[in-house]
Amino acid sequence: MKLPLPTRKSSSGNGNGNGNGSVETTEETGPSKAEKRANAKRAVVHHSAKGGTDVAGWVDTRVNGSGIYTAMLTRKVPKGTNWFYTLGSATMFIFAMQAITGVFLSMYYTPSATQAYASITHMTNDVFMGEFVRGLHKWGASLMIILIFLHMARTFFFGAYKYPRELNWVIGVVLIVLTMVMGLTGYLLPFDQRSYWATIVANNITASGPVVGPYLADFLRAGPDFSGTTLSRFYALHMMVVPGLMAALIGAHLFLVVKLGTTAPPWVKAARPKGARPVEMVPAGVPSSDDGEVPFNGNGSATNGSAPTNGSAPVVADEPAEAPEPESPEQGTEGEVNS
Amino acid sequence: MNGREKEEYLREYEQLKKKGKAFFPYAIMKDSVMFVLVAAVLVFMSLLMGAEQGPKADPTTTTYVPRPDWFFFFLFELLRVIKPPELTPLATVGIPTICMVLLLLLPFYDRGPERIPWKRPVASSAGVLVIIAMAYLTYLGAVAGDPAEIAEATEPQYEVGKQITAQSGCLACHAIGKSGVHGGLGPDLTEIGTMLPRAAIKRSVAVGPGIMPGYADLGEKDLNAVADYLASLD
Repeated sequence: MKLPLPTRKSSSGNGNGNGNGSVETTEETGPSKAEKRANAKRAVVHHSAKGGTDVAGWVDTRVNGSGIYTAMLTRKVPKGTNWFYTLGSATMFIFAMQAITGVFLSMYYTPSATQAYASITHMTNDVFMGEFVRGLHKWGASLMIILIFLHMARTFFFGAYKYPRELNWVIGVVLIVLTMVMGLTGYLLPFDQRSYWATIVANNITASGPVVGPYLADFLRAGPDFSGTTLSRFYALHMMVVPGLMAALIGAHLFLVVKLGTTAPPWVKAARPKGARPVEMVPAGVPSSDDGEVPFNGNGSATNGSAPTNGSAPVVADEPAEAPEPESPEQGTEGEVNS
Repeated sequence: MNGREKEEYLREYEQLKKKGKAFFPYAIMKDSVMFVLVAAVLVFMSLLMGAEQGPKADPTTTTYVPRPDWFFFFLFELLRVIKPPELTPLATVGIPTICMVLLLLLPFYDRGPERIPWKRPVASSAGVLVIIAMAYLTYLGAVAGDPAEIAEATEPQYEVGKQITAQSGCLACHAIGKSGVHGGLGPDLTEIGTMLPRAAIKRSVAVGPGIMPGYADLGEKDLNAVADYLASLD
């Protein structure tokens, strides 16, 4: 943004001369006032914490969302970021597709042992685009498994699970397990021979597990025998429990991705400016002694590092330049809620 | 990683980030291209292969062979690799559980600072081996023969029992001669007639010992035919 200095000068001059009522000055005042307002508005939108008169600004004052929004969008991805780094978001995209197609399928599906099969037949043959949407959901499951495993392979071979991203790896592994659980529970729902017998075997395998195996199998079956309740139980797990868990964990996963940043490919090195390195590198024995924990401050720099130059720095730096001057009375009435 | 290495990593990462591009629009652009690609593949698959519906689930007839979705093949085939019945729980629950725990705790025992794959020979070769093993087991599962046919000839009076045995999906887990699954979930039935008396065979089929499902639903007549056929195998 450019500095609105000239405008301000002329406008303040006009403000003083306004009482004289000269024609030229009033003509000049109009545009300059409007410009001022526009500037103020722009500033309000950008610095939403101060409030605003437009809808976006109104909402933003209350949720303070634009900070998060700017932080997410303007954050930098490290040098060397390549196509391998799209696998995670692609998996999330498929998850969203599964959620959407799943909602549409649930509109026609009846989770009862007697009607499930018929409802699938109906939606496949009679419902507009029914088989297409079923196909999207069915093959989406396979694609999601492939993508999530590729994403994990990338993370593994790039060593991206190491400090400071250990926790995100753990969340990711849980998400893989939950994705497999989705595959297992969803497989029964069409209730044809294939899914029925495969589920029986899966349940018998579960029951063969030590200690908790038999109890877990009983829980999945909803009793000692396979019944109609088993189907509705799988339906509830597939529709609500597991997707809910997954959505929450994906949220946590993303939060950590934004907070910690994505890794660069391990072979990409930043060329270091000479001389800057050795002196600052080891701060005279402060934290490196005991457990070797270095707190991570979210900017990709150690806490005892240098000045906070990071992804969000430019936004902060812009602030003083754009901030409207509160000296003139018109500015004050412009809806500025200084808190 | 000790504190010094951690700090060094963070510093290096900060440098890399400074030299990087903004998430919007550069990373978003790549992600979007990937979205379009994935969506196109998905639509293509759905249009090409659709979603066929098999015969309705029927607990009374067991003509369908249990087969999981392809991404569970590697687990399913693991059961066939581990042959002795007493080790079956190890294959069904033990190994997958151990692998999951190892995977989950990976960052806590692999704490070295090195991230370049070819400088981490142990981790990388373990990863490659796991991928090869899973791919191989998935392949085995995909090419497993149709378990609803028994090629071996039998005497005419056992022909009915042979048909029922084949149609009931026994060969998904058992082997009879060259048919079925060798080293599968269940024991080899090629010479079962010499190992068990007919009554024991019949009881096993009806009840389903261990992880085997019971086939009492076949009815007395079919059970007898199956038992007659199996008892004739020697």
